[in-house]
Amino acid sequence: NPIYDSKSPNASNLKISRMDKTCGSVLGGDEIFLLCDKVQKDDIEIRFYEEDEEGCWEAYGDFSPTDVHKQYAIVFKTPAYHSTEIERPVTVFLQLRRKKAGDSSDPKQFTYIPQVQDKEEVLRKKQK
Amino acid sequence: KPIYDKKATTTSQLKICLLNQYRGSCAGKTEIYMLCDKVQKDDIEIIFRRGSWKANGEFAQTDVHRQIAIVFKTPPYQDQDLSEEVEVNVILRRVSDQMESEPVPFTYLPHNRDPYDVKRK
Repeated sequence: NPIYDSKSPNASNLKISRMDKTCGSVLGGDEIFLLCDKVQKDDIEIRFYEEDEEGCWEAYGDFSPTDVHKQYAIVFKTPAYHSTEIERPVTVFLQLRRKKAGDSSDPKQFTYIPQVQDKEEVLRKKQK
Repeated sequence: KPIYDKKATTTSQLKICLLNQYRGSCAGKTEIYMLCDKVQKDDIEIIFRRGSWKANGEFAQTDVHRQIAIVFKTPPYQDQDLSEEVEVNVILRRVSDQMESEPVPFTYLPHNRDPYDVKRK
């Protein structure tokens, strides 16, 4: 059996503990505070993804190494969903992933909310 | 002059780095994520202060994440009948030696000032 140094950030398991928001605009750009187990600021990414019968989608949270606070928190902006024309909220997943090793945390859910204007427009169109 | 161990969380300087929100209802109960320099979960408090008024942010030790973040709820402001916004100071304070961080401003909003603003959040 291999022996891992659990104190080393490269070997320890990735984990998302808490996020201040779990939903946001379908257009992306929402700022999220994410609390996590130890990460390296230059070897971590936040992957949003969706897997269904129609195929896979993935996109990445937007942040720089300076947005990683003391190895245990990340402030990032959400990516836009692949379609901004959704009529109902869509729930996708996000996970922490190490760029070099490729290992990832358990996923958390994130819900994209439709644009309000779009909704009203759809209603108006339906009434015509 | 005494010599302090800057790395020891029992004597190190306290610093609030970032809040996820700087505004909230005067009714309190707004959940805030604070990023800070290292703190001891059993020896830290969050003070809201303006003039002679003072109240504590509400959190449990389990809300202190790895010594560098605290998730807490804002206390209600003393005056629930605000006609305009009020700015107060937020301070981290170590209980054992009463050492305080530099203050960070936080704005209390009147009730139902702008329902759409609330909705947006």
